[in-house]
Amino acid sequence: MDRLEDRIRRLIVETLNLEDISAEDIGEDELLFGEGLGLDSIDALEIGIEIQKTFGVKIDSKDENLASYFSSVRELARFVSRQQQEQVV
Amino acid sequence: MSGFRPCAIVPTYRHVDALRGVVERLVAEGLPVLVVDDGNAPEIAAQIADICVGVEGVELLRRETNGGKGAAVLDGIAWAEAHGFSHAVQVDADGQHDIARVGDLLALARAEPDALVTGEPVYDETIPRSRRIARWITHFWVAVNTLTFRYIDSMCGFRVYPVGPVREVARAHRIARRMAFDTEVLVRLVWRGTKVVTLPVAVIYPPGNHSNFALWDDNLRISGMHAKLFFIMLARLPFLVVSRLRGPHENSSRHWARISERGGYAGLWLLGTIYRLFGRRVCLAAVSPVVLFFFLTGSEQRRGSLSYLAHAHDAGLIVERPGWRLSFRHFMAFASSAVDKLAAWTGNIPASQVEGLEDGEFERAKQSGQGALVFTAHFGNPEILRAIATLSERWRVTVLVHTVNAVRFNRFINAFSESSAVRLVQVTSVGPDTAILLQQAVERGEWVVVAGDRVPVSGNERISWAPFLGELAPFPQGPHIIAALLKCPVYLLFCLRNGPRHRVHFERMADRIELPRRDREGALAASVAEYARRLEKHLRAAPLQWFNFFDFWHPAGLKPPSVSVLPQRDRTGVS
Repeated sequence: MDRLEDRIRRLIVETLNLEDISAEDIGEDELLFGEGLGLDSIDALEIGIEIQKTFGVKIDSKDENLASYFSSVRELARFVSRQQQEQVV
Repeated sequence: MSGFRPCAIVPTYRHVDALRGVVERLVAEGLPVLVVDDGNAPEIAAQIADICVGVEGVELLRRETNGGKGAAVLDGIAWAEAHGFSHAVQVDADGQHDIARVGDLLALARAEPDALVTGEPVYDETIPRSRRIARWITHFWVAVNTLTFRYIDSMCGFRVYPVGPVREVARAHRIARRMAFDTEVLVRLVWRGTKVVTLPVAVIYPPGNHSNFALWDDNLRISGMHAKLFFIMLARLPFLVVSRLRGPHENSSRHWARISERGGYAGLWLLGTIYRLFGRRVCLAAVSPVVLFFFLTGSEQRRGSLSYLAHAHDAGLIVERPGWRLSFRHFMAFASSAVDKLAAWTGNIPASQVEGLEDGEFERAKQSGQGALVFTAHFGNPEILRAIATLSERWRVTVLVHTVNAVRFNRFINAFSESSAVRLVQVTSVGPDTAILLQQAVERGEWVVVAGDRVPVSGNERISWAPFLGELAPFPQGPHIIAALLKCPVYLLFCLRNGPRHRVHFERMADRIELPRRDREGALAASVAEYARRLEKHLRAAPLQWFNFFDFWHPAGLKPPSVSVLPQRDRTGVS
């Protein structure tokens, strides 16, 4: 079974059609936005939509910590698994 | 103003079932809570005490006799003052308020510490009809009494009081102590010069909830209170008129999203009734003095109109020289469109009066069953189509609206016709959750409608400047970004009044809007420019039906780019 982090990396590359980057190139702690990978807010929306669809979680845009959930692959994975657990309960 | 220290006040009389939940959630919000036991019978008082006593951050104030909600709240506010709180959130004990919104209410209060911040209820289907009728009566009277013609839901008990002003009003006047309290204290505060800020909040009537709002008794009390206020208002009329006339100058050129659409609610209600009884002509004649009043007192809107007319004149859309006469006609065109909206929603504009529904692109797009994003503008009356769609064929349409104003209008419309199937999504920003909602709508074959001509409140971000009637004007990028996310065809839709009839203007703008990562800003600018170009083209058919009454080219807080960056039309991005 794939690790969640790997699935998220692939999701990012596929969703955004990143041509010159492969999933393995994205470091788990690399900043996705701004200085790191250089994604922008529109990319964030696209990733957000795919994350919701793929993992069946809900992303509340009023959540003030949203930016930190999306900061890196590791944080995203943490966010997704936490959301999934909450839904099970 | 020294420091912002809010607390919560929960007056309770016979409502115990939901109290524990309400209190717990308020504590979770980090608010000190005061529960006021309004002279409940011993066994209920014991239950209340059980919920409150010994809980950290919760205080209980017991009134020995039942004095009514107003008395309980005023006691609570006196307590808040004595304990050094600057603001008090009033929350009903029956659980009908959406406590998740307390933070939003407080944020508004913090931003405007002198204002009364009140929730503006957006009801779901659970509201009992009798309550609804009582609310109609009240809204009308509040509009009359405050001379604002602005709709304020004065009966919503979910609000943040500035402690000082309320104490002042309470000391100076004898305010109704029972259910009329919510309204009277609001009207008194308005008279005192307190600003009222509203926030839409969901309100539900939970099943099994016995309301303390005794229909006849309290309605009588409310009517009595209104009559009292009405006569006091007459005495105060000169002052109110002066403060209204002075109003617009205080902070001139506000952002459109903050200008309450003047002449909104109570005015529309009156119009609806006149239209039903006497028809369109009489209705228009009846509103002309009102329009004149708004024309004369609404200097900001008038300037907006004149600025637009001058641009349209220079661009050759209008022959007549722009001046007050033409501007008044512009205002009347707006009133006329409001009347048409009403007519449409009350089923008085049949599809047969609208040209262009049965032929061409519109019919094809509709028949295809494919979901789409539809751009419109504050131009003409797309509302008419929404009405016809909803009343006759019941297509599902999702409309993105920017302000509470449109939500309010929709609620009003629902009072006149029960069958509205249109979903309004209010957005100030689109997040992943809204985006997925819209995507699902499009996947189901729905049309998502969004106006492309009003810039977001948040300032210079996500704006593109495009040539429009001979000068660069700011347009929002948001609708184009949504289009890119939805990956669906994009259409342009306007419905213009043409003599006694209406005509649909509908065209395909793009199969898809794509924003390649390499030149995203460029692609956005090109898409926005394309929209502006097409908009201008359609404007020629009905130049007076442009309904943006603010300085469209220079809205507050926005600076045009210093270097001219006219996007080239053939730039890719719109395919």
